[in-house]
Amino acid sequence: MKQKLKYSIILLTIFVSVFGTSCKKWLDLQPQDGLIRQEYWQTKEQLDAAVMGCYASLLGGGSIPLSKYLFIWGELRGDMVVPGLEISSDDDEAKLSGLLKDEFDIMRTQIASTNTLVNWEAVYKTINYCNTVIKFGPEVVNNDKTLSAAGLNAYLAEAKALRGLMYFYLLRSFGEVPLKLEPTYNDSQIGPIKKSTQQEVYAQIISDLTYAAENGSVTFGNMAEDRGRMTKFTAYTALADAYLWMEEYQKCIDACNKVIESGKYQLLPAGTPQSNFYTNVYLNGNSVESIFEFQFDNQKLNPFAPMFGLTGREFRAADWIAEGNLFGTDPLNSSNVDIRGNGTSMLESNASISKYTNQRTSTTSYAHWFVYRFADVLLMKAEALTWLTPGNAANGTAAIELVNKVRVGRNALSYVADKTIENPDPANTENVSLYVFDERAREFAFEGKRWYDILRFAKRNNYANEKILLNIVSASAQPNKQQTVINKYKDHRSHYFPVYSYELQTNKALVQNPFYQ
Amino acid sequence: MKRNVKFMLLGICSAVICLMACRKNVLVEGTSKVVNMTQYLQNHPDEFSELSKVLERSETASFLNAYGSYTFFAPTNTAIKAYLTEKGKTTIDDISAGDWKNFVRFHLLEDSIPTSKFDDGKLYELTMYGQYLTTASENIAGVTKIRINRQANVINANISVGNGLIHSVDHVLTPASLSVAQTIEANPEYSIFTQALKASGLYASLNILPADNPDVERKWLTVIPETDAVFKSVGINNYNDLKAKYSNTGNPQLDTDSLHLFLDYHILSNAKYLADIITATAHNTLAPLEVLTAKLAGETVLINDDTFNGVHEQGFSLIRDKSDVTATNGVVHQPSAHFSIKIRAPFRVDWDAAAFPEIMKNTEYYKKNSYEFKPEETAALSEIKFSGPESGFIYRQGSAGTSKTSLNGDILVVPLATGGASNRAEWVEFRSPLLIKGKYKVWIGYYTQVQSNGTTEVTASIGADGTTDRVPLSNARTLSFSVKRPGINKTVNGVTVIDAEAEEAIGFKTYMANTSGSQVAKMLGIADLSKTGRYWLRLKAINGSQTTNNIDVIQFIPINDDQQYWKYNPDGSKILRP
Repeated sequence: MKQKLKYSIILLTIFVSVFGTSCKKWLDLQPQDGLIRQEYWQTKEQLDAAVMGCYASLLGGGSIPLSKYLFIWGELRGDMVVPGLEISSDDDEAKLSGLLKDEFDIMRTQIASTNTLVNWEAVYKTINYCNTVIKFGPEVVNNDKTLSAAGLNAYLAEAKALRGLMYFYLLRSFGEVPLKLEPTYNDSQIGPIKKSTQQEVYAQIISDLTYAAENGSVTFGNMAEDRGRMTKFTAYTALADAYLWMEEYQKCIDACNKVIESGKYQLLPAGTPQSNFYTNVYLNGNSVESIFEFQFDNQKLNPFAPMFGLTGREFRAADWIAEGNLFGTDPLNSSNVDIRGNGTSMLESNASISKYTNQRTSTTSYAHWFVYRFADVLLMKAEALTWLTPGNAANGTAAIELVNKVRVGRNALSYVADKTIENPDPANTENVSLYVFDERAREFAFEGKRWYDILRFAKRNNYANEKILLNIVSASAQPNKQQTVINKYKDHRSHYFPVYSYELQTNKALVQNPFYQ
Repeated sequence: MKRNVKFMLLGICSAVICLMACRKNVLVEGTSKVVNMTQYLQNHPDEFSELSKVLERSETASFLNAYGSYTFFAPTNTAIKAYLTEKGKTTIDDISAGDWKNFVRFHLLEDSIPTSKFDDGKLYELTMYGQYLTTASENIAGVTKIRINRQANVINANISVGNGLIHSVDHVLTPASLSVAQTIEANPEYSIFTQALKASGLYASLNILPADNPDVERKWLTVIPETDAVFKSVGINNYNDLKAKYSNTGNPQLDTDSLHLFLDYHILSNAKYLADIITATAHNTLAPLEVLTAKLAGETVLINDDTFNGVHEQGFSLIRDKSDVTATNGVVHQPSAHFSIKIRAPFRVDWDAAAFPEIMKNTEYYKKNSYEFKPEETAALSEIKFSGPESGFIYRQGSAGTSKTSLNGDILVVPLATGGASNRAEWVEFRSPLLIKGKYKVWIGYYTQVQSNGTTEVTASIGADGTTDRVPLSNARTLSFSVKRPGINKTVNGVTVIDAEAEEAIGFKTYMANTSGSQVAKMLGIADLSKTGRYWLRLKAINGSQTTNNIDVIQFIPINDDQQYWKYNPDGSKILRP
């Protein structure tokens, strides 16, 4: 008995000395050199930094930068960009490196799920940052009393606007994608996730962008931040774009009006010399015309110099553009030029795409990536007006006026590719629509919008205008595969990218786009 | 009792030891677990059990289970059952093993060809049966499928197995059974053409299976027979009309008879599907040295649609849905209109060397300003090629010293170095416009310029577009870019004028309104062109290495034509012989 007591005392002593003394954190291990989630999300400065992180992710990406993905997705399947290298035979094709081969395959409509450029990683990376802010941002209000509810909502609006924009890129490129709305912050968040339908993705985009439009800040107080962050009006612009994509024209017009009436944006006045236009809008960026840009600078360079530079360039302007058939030339007066043409968008002398580079080398290349400019709002409104009630001459006239506003500002030529460009009959919806379409090609040359424009025009009213797409792709197809290419595009499922093969392996709930199975 | 327990324990122990000892280690003996074709088909009986039986019966199963590189178009069970029903058989055993062997051979190619290599024409390898398979894609109700041989759709493509690729198809493929001659005969639309083939004896030569044909050039043929309707549209209502119109000897059996040649002109060597036809600009016909030219306009395949001597000649098209008809020894296409050999006399062709597509589309510089091409741009030119890297290649426009008095006010500065240098090519070559077969004197118009006592001397050679062979011109002379016209004069009626005849005899002439000694054309030799088509003219440096080689214009003038006139004004207008 005595023995037992002795043992108990010894045990008790050990127990108390181990657990009862100063070693409180014995079982509570935390990293010495980092911050954990529970200790973050305390102050509004931390919230602000997290939101800035979302924007910073736009400049980076995954295996290639996000802006490069956006260029490739928006341009390569259109008719304005061709491979920088002359590729005339199978032998030439076989010599291409992996990346160039993948780019070439997209341009030639030979897309497979193993093509590394159909990887959506970079977009979901940004989405995950936004999701993190949206989930944990609200905790800050409990810890930092200086953060008002409106202030919090403004931050959330930025994250939601960005998330909506990212999903909108995915919707247009892939059609159906998985909707991931929770951040991946612990193991429970990693699991298979199904694709949502286009309608579900669209509904999410509208809900995010509407929240952002209602709660977003009107301004952040300076030009650079108003162009580099999501304001209320940036959200309205993206919202208009989404409505237009899903053919909700009245809502699109309403959203455009919000942006136009804000008075925060304007076109450079007619008569602006080309060099001023180029320097302000493209070379320096953040101009009065601009709505949202990826803010590359000399500390975070863009990926464009090697893409468009002359040595080993990946892309150049298609021949028909370099020959002057997009912007036109005035044979009588060589100084009468479209200020968006030769010298701004591309150089006729060597067909290089100069919008982003202009003599800058790979170590000094920091032109921005232009997501939305004011001209986009005007032309989106024009397009929506055209289709609001087809055949309505008053709407048609208003649409033509909007287009002409852009044309006058840019000194667009009235004689292009052996054709005179004149105002179409406002009651002829098809022609007004083409008038907008052609002007968009000039205004947004090489800004990653062409393919989406072609697809939007072709798919409108249940693919009533399929011909426009087929003509464009058959003209740029390889002659001996032309018929195959045309038939591929007649299958509407081919208008969206396949799910990347790695995603299919890791996420078993994903189903491949049946066209690529 | 206790003892028993001990024994039991011992027993259990030994049993456990025995069990452990009996567990064999599984050794992986192969290097790969990827199955081969036969095994793959056996592993998927719901799709391919019938095909497996076919392989067994045709004794090809073991061969398809060995390593190699094949493409197999595998018909599914439904496809094979439908095939049996069509043949009126109930089981696979009702068809002989030999027939099944041919069946398998027709579905099999000795190369792994993924669907990304398929185009609108034939697969580039023969099937083991000895006929080509065609590929296409077809859109039915909004769904696009790959169609093989116009007979079957691909269900699952690019199934990778150890010895190649399997494409499963929803219908069996059956080889063509008629030769090109029989295919034409079987189509009542071609009755006049068939009769002409028989009368000329060509029918027999179009009716030989490739394996039995000793003539390599004619193993595979492409025939473009005209329909009766097309003949009638030009007033030929029967074979006699055709014979009356074309046969000059009255005996079309003769190779030299013009009706025989007319028919030869409708036959191309090799099996050329439309996709093959549009990838080359000219195709040899059986008519000696006569070619058909081809191009794609929009979606239309245009034949013989060319510009000769500045005049556009309307061609005809090949009707897509009536063409690409496969036969045992070739393919048959249907033309939209009547066509025959045109006798063309050679005519003079001049082209401004400084008017090539890349500079012409450059509206900022063409006919306005000089432009120096960067070496990368130079290397990418389509109508001008160099032996190696070339820097300092300049489009010079409006420069008083060299180009102002030249044709269109522009010249090309083409630095060349004998033997080639790191940034200067050894030779340059220019692609000609369409040249009619015949003999031509080749002239180069240039503007003499000496670079600090330097020089470049070149000789010329020529070769057909699409080949790499270049043969020297006959009666060849060298051209030195630093040598002016010799300036031989004569006195006519007391006035001193240039003795053009004497200068021409030694290979010099004036070619512009400007008659200064520097603005000169030199004859490089005589080109004897055996075929109508486009050619590459190569200038190779054999002495010196200066940069200022100012090439203006290249002229091909038939040897019996006037070599002096016309000349040019700088604005491009012609000066005719006074």
